[in-house]
Amino acid sequence: MIDRRRLLVLLAIAAVSPALRARAAETLRMRDLYEKDLSFSALARELEGARVEVSGFMAPPLKAQSRFFVLTKRPMAVCPFCESEAEWPDDILAVFASRVVDAIPFNVPILSGGVLRLGAHTDAETGFVSRVRLERATVARA
Amino acid sequence: MLRNTAAFALALTALGASANAQTADLPQAGSAWFADGKSVIDARLAQQPIAKRAKNVILFVADGMGVGTNFAIRVFDGQQKGMLGEENVLPYETFPNVALVKTYNINAQTPDSAPTAGAMNTGVKQRFNLINLGENAITKDCSTEADNALTTFGEIVHDMDKSVGIISTARLTHATPAAVYAKTAYRNWEDSAPEGCMDIASQLAAAMNSGLIDVALGGGRRHFLPKETTDPEGKTGRRKDGKDLVAEITAGGAQYVYDDETARAAKLDGTPLLGLFESSHMKYEYDRTGEPSLAEMTEMAITSLSTNANGYYLEIEGGRVDHANHAGNAFRTVTDGVAFAEAVAKAIEMTDEQETLIIVTADHEHSIAFNGYCGRGTPITGLCYGVDDQGVKHSDELVTADDGKPYPVIGYLNGPGSVLVKQEDGSYKGERPDLTQEQAMDPEYVQQALLPKSSESHSAEDVVAWAKGPYAHLLGGTIEQNVIFHIMMHAVTAE
Repeated sequence: MIDRRRLLVLLAIAAVSPALRARAAETLRMRDLYEKDLSFSALARELEGARVEVSGFMAPPLKAQSRFFVLTKRPMAVCPFCESEAEWPDDILAVFASRVVDAIPFNVPILSGGVLRLGAHTDAETGFVSRVRLERATVARA
Repeated sequence: MLRNTAAFALALTALGASANAQTADLPQAGSAWFADGKSVIDARLAQQPIAKRAKNVILFVADGMGVGTNFAIRVFDGQQKGMLGEENVLPYETFPNVALVKTYNINAQTPDSAPTAGAMNTGVKQRFNLINLGENAITKDCSTEADNALTTFGEIVHDMDKSVGIISTARLTHATPAAVYAKTAYRNWEDSAPEGCMDIASQLAAAMNSGLIDVALGGGRRHFLPKETTDPEGKTGRRKDGKDLVAEITAGGAQYVYDDETARAAKLDGTPLLGLFESSHMKYEYDRTGEPSLAEMTEMAITSLSTNANGYYLEIEGGRVDHANHAGNAFRTVTDGVAFAEAVAKAIEMTDEQETLIIVTADHEHSIAFNGYCGRGTPITGLCYGVDDQGVKHSDELVTADDGKPYPVIGYLNGPGSVLVKQEDGSYKGERPDLTQEQAMDPEYVQQALLPKSSESHSAEDVVAWAKGPYAHLLGGTIEQNVIFHIMMHAVTAE
């Protein structure tokens, strides 16, 4: 059963070029989506709306039994001598999963697949402000 | 006395000639290694101590760069330049005077950056997590600040009419730069402190407005701005007292710059200068964009401070060598280390060793360690290649451990790269992952570690200090960290 949103995503993917579909099928890294100045890469802008897979690490979830987590490019270490309080790095990816996510330790490599969304967004449920998101996401250990 | 010195010099010359005669026929005498080794001795024999008062003092501190971390930086820098790497010489490794430095704090075997920087800036060891307070002060106890405040090297040379500057790629309110101007019972009181004590950012504002600090370049903008204020990068301030310290500092006559463009436009004529280039720490060198490098900030500071005919004291911190080590990410450790070395090279280029004492050191080491036996030229951030018995460069075979898997040269004794991973039942188990050379050399790679810890830790291992310039020859042997202050003091006060 394909619902309307899913159909739109499939149509969006069908609309992109074969080369881009090939890139979308590759596992992306955070640095493929962000430039150094934290602007979105050309690839990220091209893949917006497409289903992509991104590698990284699951930051310790903000709360248990959540569909939401933050993907980081390196393990989200809590460094008392670097920061006086826990802080998010600038280059993160907010992941909104289809189902409640089982927490995976912060230093285990994971792959998360979902529909890439760009632009500032405040999540109604968690209040989390994100610039890049994966929606309708799945997650697995790499 | 003079005659004795002359006789000694003659004896040395005679010894040198005699050594030449004795070594010329050795089978190894034709080797470049032999000639290079001998030329070092010739250079040391020719080295003359500079025994006159220093006009300027520059103290370089690479946070978290002990003997091991420095080795990694040296090899990486060499490999970036096309060498095998091990033979590389970093700019400060040419300095004639070297010591090993013991870094422990009064009450801690493993030090943190606050009391270590404090020791170098006051001449006495201090207690864990506090800055520039005497031994009877208690960490986090505001009531013990007033009676234990120490006098800093910056204050002493300010009274000699010298200028004082600080540079850090960390926040200017962070431990190492704070040790030049602040006195606090707790290093984390960066924008607020208990009643009766002054937060660290406010202390910098006071120091700039009193004329104690002339140049301050680094990160940490958020600690100077009210939480209601959004900075040019869209980040909000952290101050809950509503004070805008940037406005207070500029009202006192200082210039304010906040990115690479405004920095390039700054007047370097001695007008006080505040640069806050990030909300928190400045970016790692590898990720840097829109803000000056450590070498560029060094050039700005020396140019500005040199306008004071009485001289200056400048402390320059490579603050994020430490942070990358904490993250277990050797790639950013060495890339920030190279940026630090480039800053030292800039300072060497801009100063005269007859009048400027330069000391390069670190505050502490990390739990970094190096696996063996790797062949010559093995990429220092990558997997260990074998030794080639016939050639010089490593073989193309990856060395494996008893588990049959290759391993990186660099590991940590603890940290986020632990091979022990938390299981669903709360226990920790694991085995080392399979790795390719490409994966290990990826800039995001986190080195394998033993103990599971979210943040890799400092270690108590020694660091090195290198020195050149007036009274640099006072540096030698194995010293306590607070001795660094006494060398600087002697250099600026010698008759």
